[in-house]
Amino acid sequence: MAAPPWRTTGGTAVQRPGFHSVTIKKTLGSNIAVASNRTASQTPTQASRRTQFPDALKAYVARTFEDCPTETKAEVEVALKKIITEAFENESVWTIDWATYPLPSAARRPAPDSDKMDISSGDEAIPVSNKFHKVGNGNNKRKLGSRNQSDHAVPDREANLRPDKRSKKQNNSSDYSYEGPDAFKRLDRKYKKHQSKNVFSQYNAMHSALDSPGFAPIVGKATKLEKRYLRLTSAPDPETVRPLPVLEKTLELLKSKWKAENNYSYICDQFKSLRQDLTVQHIKNEFTINVYEIHARIALEKGDLGEYNQCQSQLANLYSDGILGGHPHEFKAYRILYLLHTCNRSNMNDILASLTSAEKQDRAILHALAVRGAVASGNFHRFFRLYLDAPNMGGYLMDSFIDRERLAALATICKSYRPEIAFRHITEELGFENDSECEAFFVKQNFSDFVKTKDTNDDSKGKTVLETQRAYATIEAAKSAAFKRVDIKGQI
Amino acid sequence: MSNHLARYRRAWRVAYASENGKLLASTLSLTNTDLEEFAYSTNSSRVAEDVLRALEYENSAARPKITNKAGLEVWTEVYVAFWKVAQALERHDEVEWGVVFAGMKDLTQAVIRGFQNSGWEVWQLEVLYTACKYLRYVAIRADEAKRAAGEDTWKQLEEAARIINRAFNVCLNDRAELGQSRKWGTYNIINLLFKTYFKLNAITLSKNILKALVANTTEMPDLLDFRTSDVVTFKYYCGVIAFLDEDYFKAEEHLDMAYRLCHKAAQKNKELILTYLIPTKLLTRRQLPTAALLKPYPSLEALFLPLAKCIKAGNIREYDEHLAKGEDWFVKKRIFLTLERGRDITLRNLFRKVYLAAGESRTRIPVDHFRAAVSWKSGVDVEAEEVECFLANMMYKGYVKGYISRERGMVVLSGSNAFPGTGV
Repeated sequence: MAAPPWRTTGGTAVQRPGFHSVTIKKTLGSNIAVASNRTASQTPTQASRRTQFPDALKAYVARTFEDCPTETKAEVEVALKKIITEAFENESVWTIDWATYPLPSAARRPAPDSDKMDISSGDEAIPVSNKFHKVGNGNNKRKLGSRNQSDHAVPDREANLRPDKRSKKQNNSSDYSYEGPDAFKRLDRKYKKHQSKNVFSQYNAMHSALDSPGFAPIVGKATKLEKRYLRLTSAPDPETVRPLPVLEKTLELLKSKWKAENNYSYICDQFKSLRQDLTVQHIKNEFTINVYEIHARIALEKGDLGEYNQCQSQLANLYSDGILGGHPHEFKAYRILYLLHTCNRSNMNDILASLTSAEKQDRAILHALAVRGAVASGNFHRFFRLYLDAPNMGGYLMDSFIDRERLAALATICKSYRPEIAFRHITEELGFENDSECEAFFVKQNFSDFVKTKDTNDDSKGKTVLETQRAYATIEAAKSAAFKRVDIKGQI
Repeated sequence: MSNHLARYRRAWRVAYASENGKLLASTLSLTNTDLEEFAYSTNSSRVAEDVLRALEYENSAARPKITNKAGLEVWTEVYVAFWKVAQALERHDEVEWGVVFAGMKDLTQAVIRGFQNSGWEVWQLEVLYTACKYLRYVAIRADEAKRAAGEDTWKQLEEAARIINRAFNVCLNDRAELGQSRKWGTYNIINLLFKTYFKLNAITLSKNILKALVANTTEMPDLLDFRTSDVVTFKYYCGVIAFLDEDYFKAEEHLDMAYRLCHKAAQKNKELILTYLIPTKLLTRRQLPTAALLKPYPSLEALFLPLAKCIKAGNIREYDEHLAKGEDWFVKKRIFLTLERGRDITLRNLFRKVYLAAGESRTRIPVDHFRAAVSWKSGVDVEAEEVECFLANMMYKGYVKGYISRERGMVVLSGSNAFPGTGV
């Protein structure tokens, strides 16, 4: 007797909370009442064993119902229960060749009379069905069969007489013609989304319960709070994985260490191993969200956009899984700003499409949307105001593209102001804290040559200005280079 | 395929005798009213035998069209798979779309084999179209069923896309001489692929198809020699792909062609094309749709006409309002971010009005005048710095010729052609 594959390879049942046999027994009990009554006193091993259906048996059950006329469904069910019960009783369920096993007689639909007219000598080539061919012929005639005969008799006969000549006309009038543009709509109507359940779908429910994966997450046994991150290359070992209560303490420890030491490479490594332990144990709850949010914020603060983005995408999944808690609005706002950084217009469109009206009321999201609008319209005046007034940690995200936007604004200014523009004005318009910060930016970008301090005799003496015309070409080139890195297209 | 399915059998025979692809393909349509009858005509243990016998009989009737056994076997595979589809659709109170999809997959793959190995000819391409078309439909239903059960998946549609992609290659890479080449099926299948990729939000895959097409372009028949309906759909998708790529000039070219070739009664298709052509022309030519153009399309008219009016009048606030009103639809169609740029043109038109109103002294206009205009038309008091920013942008983008003198608070505009392309 061959053991089913999942029994030989499966892990220990102890580690699987919510083991499937419980629910299956219930389904089975209602479906195959006879079986459960008779086997109630059997040992648990046998009981769990008998919840396993060989695939061939599943297919057999499917075939049984396939051809089963509605009127005889009850009869078929009884017969089927008997067959399966017996198979389990004498433990032949794994040895029977279900593919060729005869179907319960009541399940056989009588062959249509017209079959007799079928030409060729192939009848003996139908092994199983022949045996049951004539059973129930008298009383089980399907309504359909009679309809066929009355509805189609006339056209069929006509067609058989002169098929080829009629074909063209038929072509236009019958089903065999151009389907029309609304073929799918007609199908949608015909096969509606929700229909009533029947015996067969009950069976299918049992079927899918049997099929659902037996993988249960492991539960860790490690008690040490800290752990170095190591990318897993094999199944996780429970001995090295920390269970949830330990992880909760770990998070507290990491939070205090971050405050005290501010050591990013240590913290990032620890958070990664923390996230890994959550993943391998399938822990998805408010705590998980908390961990990802904190790691995302720390990564933002340190400008580690790669790590931030990993947390961000996990968070998006967690929020959409309906886990309560966390700050979905705050992180959606970050996401909008992040997409501005990557100049990803198509994802931006997706996120705009996904915004709910509640989200459109949120301060952080409103801010991010305003930033997006300012960037889209080139309104640098508004943009840099918003930069200085970013809620939460939006400012850190904006830092990642602030220099690029400054170059864009400078290019615009150089193109449009003549003969010069006050340096002070640039400091104010481009969101610098003070003149020296602005100067540092000019030095970094090698624009210092274009800045002149006027020594004329009037009261503007000592005034520092940017010579716009002279600077334009250089700044425009720097701007293009900055945008090239993120590959922005289609500027018109 | 028992005898009372004579209509199926006859259609198959007649189609073969007269090389009528449409008729042949129609036997595999899911909309056939015979479908239920077909589903109940046999069962899974005897369907293969039944089909083969029926085909053998029909094939031997007059002059056999299929002379080798393998030829009939492929057709048997096709109809057995089709029966599985029919069975899954018709014989259960609740359709299991996963099972329908599995059958449809077998069917399509058998059809592809028919072309690859059994020498199916060009006139039979309709069968490939029908198979792929329903494969896609059924895959979507199967995925929707899973999604309704809470599973976030497009797995089955992705699988369908891979199979349709194989059909595409079977067409594209046929080396037979042009009259007999399956290359004639290329655009029909491409359009199905585009539809599928768009649904999957995998537009880059569409670009891969276009690349493969370009690589084969020398051996392809001229696009205009294909069925016009296929050409229009193809051009429409090319246009939308270019549009999403922000290559608006290319988009305009494709969409223009699609619009011109589109059948005049194909209202819905023209509406789809215009949805993208209008924002495109707004950017490439600053061209606005006329009321007459929009008249036949009430939903487009309701959204685009007010925008066009605001742009003309330089009415910023109302422009923003109308854009916000249509936002959901615009975003869904992915035209929102493009239409948003119409605001520039609205502003340009407003500045142009200030310029015209200034009369003789219009080459030197105080920034304050522009500020007043913007404040009035946007309904909020706008700072001078922000108006300067608007002006600077106009100048940078070439909408306005001139410069700002911040020292004097003046905008100095070019004596001639200060607003290029607007006649002043």
